[in-house]
Amino acid sequence: MTSPSQAAADAGDLTLEPEGEPGTPGNKGTPELAGRTPRQLAWLRFKRDRVGVICAFVVGFFILVAAAAPLIVKLYGKNAYDLYGQDDGLLNSSGIPIKPNGGISSDHWFGVEPALGRDVLALLVYGIRTSLLIALAVTVISVATGVLFGLTQGYLSGKTDYFMGRLSDFMLAFPQQLFFIAFSPVAISLLVNPGEQESWWVRPFVLISVQFILGWMSIGRLVRAQVLSLREREFVEAARISGASSWRIISKELLPNLWSTILVQATLLLPVFVTAEAGLSFLGVGILDPTPDWGLMFQTGANNYQSDITFMFFPGIAMVIFVVAFNLLGDSVRDALDPKTLR
Amino acid sequence: MRNSRVRLGAAAVAVAALSLTAACSSGGGDDTGGKGGASSKPTKAPVPNYGLGTAADSTGPAKAVPGAVKGGTVHDLDQAGFDYLDPAQQYVSDQLSVSLLYARTLTAYKIDPTTKKTVLVGDLATDTGKMSDGGKTWTYTLKSGLKFEDGTPITSKDIKYSIERLFADFETQGPQYIQSWLYGPDYRKLYKGPYSGQEIPANILDTPDDKTVVFHFKDAHADAPYAMAMPVTAPVPKAKDDKAAYNNHPVSSGPYKIASYKPGKSLVFVRNTNWDPATDPIRNAYPDSWNFSLGIAQPGLTQRIMAGSGDDKYAIDLSGVADPTQMAALTSDAQYKSRTVNEYQPYVETLDINTKRITDPKVRQAIAYAFPMSQVQQVFGGAAQGDLGTTLLSPTIAGWKDFDPFGKKAKPAGDPEKAKALLKEAGNEHPTLVFPYANTPRWQKISLTIANNLEKAGFKVVRKAIDPTSYYTVVGKVNNQYDIYRTGWGADWPNASTVVPPTMDGRNLQDGTNNYSFLNDDHINTEIDRIKAITDLTKQADEWRTLSEYSLQHDTAQVPFLFDKYFNIYGTGLGGVTYNSVTGTINASTVFVKQ
Repeated sequence: MTSPSQAAADAGDLTLEPEGEPGTPGNKGTPELAGRTPRQLAWLRFKRDRVGVICAFVVGFFILVAAAAPLIVKLYGKNAYDLYGQDDGLLNSSGIPIKPNGGISSDHWFGVEPALGRDVLALLVYGIRTSLLIALAVTVISVATGVLFGLTQGYLSGKTDYFMGRLSDFMLAFPQQLFFIAFSPVAISLLVNPGEQESWWVRPFVLISVQFILGWMSIGRLVRAQVLSLREREFVEAARISGASSWRIISKELLPNLWSTILVQATLLLPVFVTAEAGLSFLGVGILDPTPDWGLMFQTGANNYQSDITFMFFPGIAMVIFVVAFNLLGDSVRDALDPKTLR
Repeated sequence: MRNSRVRLGAAAVAVAALSLTAACSSGGGDDTGGKGGASSKPTKAPVPNYGLGTAADSTGPAKAVPGAVKGGTVHDLDQAGFDYLDPAQQYVSDQLSVSLLYARTLTAYKIDPTTKKTVLVGDLATDTGKMSDGGKTWTYTLKSGLKFEDGTPITSKDIKYSIERLFADFETQGPQYIQSWLYGPDYRKLYKGPYSGQEIPANILDTPDDKTVVFHFKDAHADAPYAMAMPVTAPVPKAKDDKAAYNNHPVSSGPYKIASYKPGKSLVFVRNTNWDPATDPIRNAYPDSWNFSLGIAQPGLTQRIMAGSGDDKYAIDLSGVADPTQMAALTSDAQYKSRTVNEYQPYVETLDINTKRITDPKVRQAIAYAFPMSQVQQVFGGAAQGDLGTTLLSPTIAGWKDFDPFGKKAKPAGDPEKAKALLKEAGNEHPTLVFPYANTPRWQKISLTIANNLEKAGFKVVRKAIDPTSYYTVVGKVNNQYDIYRTGWGADWPNASTVVPPTMDGRNLQDGTNNYSFLNDDHINTEIDRIKAITDLTKQADEWRTLSEYSLQHDTAQVPFLFDKYFNIYGTGLGGVTYNSVTGTINASTVFVKQ
């Protein structure tokens, strides 16, 4: 998993070209004829990007599905926990759906899961919900921490900058995937006494924590670089001379200029965390049955792909569409906020 | 012995490459019919009878395998490697399977290559042993013409020395039957092994001449001939014994000797010219050499044998089972059928009920009625992985007969109505059951299945995930707070004396015994003592079976649900592959390379 920070870093630097374009946010520069704010300009540019708009709808659809999972499942009439395949005899003695194409029928639109026989549509809808919630939590915490860290680092500079910089270098040096796989079981065993049942929050908490620990550095470094160049700009100097407090300079002068970077970074980080979460559950160190989860569906699918390939399709295709759409959306957002980026 | 297969261990999830060769799948097809959808074919009584062979059965050479030819090299692919080649340390099935090639024991299992009938015969000894003193004294006479690989004759002194080695402090992994029968449970305190210069006195283990070994046990042990078939009785020459290091270069008494051994990588056997086929009733030893490749990862190992290119045509995996991800392809594709081994293992999967917490037998019977056998079999991966089993003894035990007191064969998917009625009689229609399970993908699914069906009968099931490495320790605690949990137990030899006493004797209950249901039934306790003293093995087997049936029907402390099965394939270039149901591995003695 590579973080898309490199591409975004270039974008961030370009924003800071000192030409003072009217669109540069926060600069309150000379207004255009129509008198549009930078936000309106960005929105206009985004609306013109057809791919971006389609992707926004797709992403919105996924988020809607995740949010409305209980409602969807209620309307559909099946839930994600009943073992329909076993109870209604839809599986053969090896646990493979009897009907072709993974047991797709009018009752089970996406078929039934091998072995346990849960409904695939209900599983998928709830699985998306689990994975998205965890990824969203990781993104929010990582971005918040990264921004705070980068701001402090860039604004204070000097020795603080040096030591904080080395800390984030140190964290960046960890191989992420290996760290997740190695430390998730350790963290879980720290929280759960052997022989006791895990509480429901243990696994999501551990997943969020380990991904957060190695997830905030890239955005932190980006923000620091931005702040370093911004803090020498005239409007910041002016604020400082007029006696503004550090907090005011950070919150009113620096932060508004960082929103585009933060937004772009967040949209690009989220799909990375979704795939990472699914990967960990797939490898058996993430969410466990019976909690529906995207990664767990891949695990079941991988074990049964030779006899029931259909089962792999639904979570697989959903994941591909989601990740591609979210990444394209991230690109479009960046284009809209920062039109000078060359692609 | 406990089921030590990878099944329970944290099976690393194979990252299988997804091949999108088929646009849509054809569906599993209904091989069963009806609700519950699982095979409920009655378990067939197996052919092997595990009796004691006569002296005539014990004479060599081994019965020829039809169509067999001498020569060639068998390539064995092994997933892990062998922790122990020292016969005194060998207990796990993969070690038992390779031991047969180079270590001869006092007795051994003779498996007929055509009928598969399995009997115990004398291997080094002329017969399965002569009993005297009411089963306390066992006398073995060695055959003539027995030699080690360097040509030194094998004498009774070598057998005695190898028994003495079992007491050394580094010999910890092997079975402990013979030691504790000779000296009692604290045997290590009473004798420290031969390296201190002491021998076992003649009133315990005697060698009156070069051909005779006499065991004087403390109690009667009618099943001693079976204990002698474990590798611990394989002769070790005193001159070549360098204690723990002997593990890497054991001296051969069998048809093959070790040509080279790189632990964890390879092990090559070539013919031992000092082995005389005329003395050996069980080993055909057709191939000229055996070439073991160790540390081959799954599922690649199974896929290599399936593909069979190059030397893999002559490949076999003596003790491992086919990778679960390949099961569907192996069971559905007809081309593999002729080279598939699918037989019973000695293990029985049971759901143990904590009799200290669930004291009402009616509630325990309700669990038995509600238990979803066929659904659990589905999650296991079908009949090739395990047969529906309704007895506490495995079909690989002498005297086994089908017994089904709860009508599970008729309703393998569970009978919630009957269970509900029993719960009503018991006066508690919604008992809570705490159900711990080993936290692996397989048992997560199985525990869900079991909980789902028990809840239909009115139980409230609380599932608790337990770290798989400490699972048995946790459920083995006498004061555990759990009600139902799965265990697997297999006999060390085909006599229920290694099943009934360890799993049902309720005296001396303490943490870590194998009586996981903590059953303490006076009738069973006294019967165990009575049956142990019976010297007629056939009668003993019948009595054990009756007692296990009593326990199942009357106490219902364990609900048996599956007989584990061995499933693997071998290369197209091999023939004469037979199966040893006692150890649950392929029998290497009869394998030959097709020319």
